Amino acid sequence: MSNLSTAEHSAATSSPLLTVKQLRVDLPVAKGTLHAVRGIDFHVERGEMLCLVGESGCGKSMTSLALMGLLPRKAQVNADCLNFDGVDLLTVPERERSNLRGARMAMIFQEPMTALNPAYTLGNQLCEALRRHQRVSRQAAHDRALYLLKRVGISAAEERMRQYPHQLSGGLRQRVMIAMALMCEPDLIIADEPTTALDVTIQAQILHLLRDLQQEFGTAIIFITHDLGVVARIADRVAVMYAGEVIETASAQALFKAPSHPYTQGLLRCIPTPGKTLPGSRLQAIPGVVPSLVGKIEGCAFCNRCDQADERCRTTPPLQAVAGEHFSRCHFAHQLASPAPLNDQEVTS
Amino acid sequence: MTNTTSPANSMDPLALELCALSKTFKLGGGMLHKPQTLKAVNEVSLRVPRGQVMGLVGESGCGKSTLAKMLLGLTPPSSGDVLINGKAIVNANQKALARHIQPIFQDPYSSLNPRQRIAQIVGLPLRIHALGTPREQAAKVDQMLDLVGLPKRAAQQYPGQMSGGQRQRVAIARALIMRPDLVICDEPTSALDVSIQAQILNLLLDLKDEFGLTYLFISHDLAVVEHLADRLAVMYLGQIVEEGTREQIFTSPRHPYTQALLASALTPEPGLGVPDIGLGAGQPDPTQPPSGCAFHPRCPIAQPQCSEQTPKLSAITHASGQAFGKGSQARVACHLA
Repeated sequence: MSNLSTAEHSAATSSPLLTVKQLRVDLPVAKGTLHAVRGIDFHVERGEMLCLVGESGCGKSMTSLALMGLLPRKAQVNADCLNFDGVDLLTVPERERSNLRGARMAMIFQEPMTALNPAYTLGNQLCEALRRHQRVSRQAAHDRALYLLKRVGISAAEERMRQYPHQLSGGLRQRVMIAMALMCEPDLIIADEPTTALDVTIQAQILHLLRDLQQEFGTAIIFITHDLGVVARIADRVAVMYAGEVIETASAQALFKAPSHPYTQGLLRCIPTPGKTLPGSRLQAIPGVVPSLVGKIEGCAFCNRCDQADERCRTTPPLQAVAGEHFSRCHFAHQLASPAPLNDQEVTS
Repeated sequence: MTNTTSPANSMDPLALELCALSKTFKLGGGMLHKPQTLKAVNEVSLRVPRGQVMGLVGESGCGKSTLAKMLLGLTPPSSGDVLINGKAIVNANQKALARHIQPIFQDPYSSLNPRQRIAQIVGLPLRIHALGTPREQAAKVDQMLDLVGLPKRAAQQYPGQMSGGQRQRVAIARALIMRPDLVICDEPTSALDVSIQAQILNLLLDLKDEFGLTYLFISHDLAVVEHLADRLAVMYLGQIVEEGTREQIFTSPRHPYTQALLASALTPEPGLGVPDIGLGAGQPDPTQPPSGCAFHPRCPIAQPQCSEQTPKLSAITHASGQAFGKGSQARVACHLA
């Protein structure tokens, strides 16, 4: 596949593949301006799996669409820096951007049925992804599609190439989406809740596959999910989002061992965990609801749901280092970081 | 926990009993094609003792929701019986049935009428059954909203003004206002965020104690089922393949499908990686179920007999049977279990 790779781009350099600084996404709505993403910073290293975690409406999907340049036209994207491997995504002309999309950054959506075109065969759609970006023969594109379909675990791949999306189950369609994302060997794949619509048994297989492919092709993946179980099992690093901000970022190990933001701690406490939460006991729910993102939010966005909030939380907390590469956007991050074991009241002996 | 009561013991009051319940759909067919038959639910027998939570798990398309629809009287069964509090419901009048059994659906966005105020939505069952004066009905609605943790002003709001969690509280209030004995919870939290899910699960547990409810809790989230359920039934292609108490199923699952399901549940423990469960691709086509044991094409331990003989769901004694309380019977449908 050497003729298809983008070797000159993926030459190892020390700078991150993707650098995002102070990304803001604003959408005009009837009542004013909806600040869907409110100044987030993160970076993605080559070949790493970064998980963006958060509840619905926290801005994780808006972030991914902003990176891909797929936001509706009325959305305003601002950032201090939005750099993808030396390309400034803020100023790049649309024509060049669409050359990047699919070729060097690809996306896997949550619902493959709506992402695939029902009127074209899978083979047609797979080959198109490649031939749009590279001068390859029909035969070469066909061979690559066949190879990738087999690689993502689809049996009778030759026959599947001639089938239409509706003839496949949800799990198979998601495998096709993954194969399609890999057609041009992109440097970055953004996977937006790729397993949420699938059964747990299929989810495990798809996650396994993504992990394997990532190691094989050295692709960086931004994996967007709300499921902390998935995050724990696949992430290298995690960025937790709340109300349009990244409120905590750390390696997966550090985040689950010593969560240092009350929201992250709350999220981990409120999911029933076999062996940790006593069946039938009350779960420690996070009270209240997410604040509205229309208009400005004064102070810490989480303070009205936080049991530790006090006077200081009326001012916006900075993202501060807790330890090494572990950052938390909380005034009390340092106190919280000192390990108070989670679920200690609930642990069954 | 109340697991010491035996579901097999005929002295115990059963809230729900299913006897060889089946539902067959005819698909397609026309001038040139013969219709295909799809056995969505195939001879399911299940007993749910009063006051317990029966969890029902399985992959999508295994017949969980068809089963729920038959219990609610929304779809007539093809054969078999449903008994609620010992009475068959097959010919029961829908209105009478609604006083005993109520659903809570997955999606609180589509299950509430967007053009009615919350008070109307929650009070509708009372109006249909003509229970009490309008003033008494309003008082009951207020009381119910309070019980599910909604503020008084919610009564005058529309569903569109509420968050997903609040809507699910409305759906719960509507289900419980008739004081049913049995509530069918069909994935009640899977459309909600995790922080809201915990609030709703806590509420369901509180209300169960308050009203002495029996739940049939359908979910694909095994952690949630383990948290709530007293007993558990695992479905595969329209059949129950294993049934037992929570401890039996979660500590020593006997059916290879149950084992695979449990292995594929991801707990938030970093460093464990994604388990390789070795279950080939998805479920087989339900219109052409495999011969013998329906699970054999995906089963890691399948033997030649598995493709020839259909295993019966039969009682088993667990190796450590005593540890689970006497009489806590488990059933499994596997030649090799």
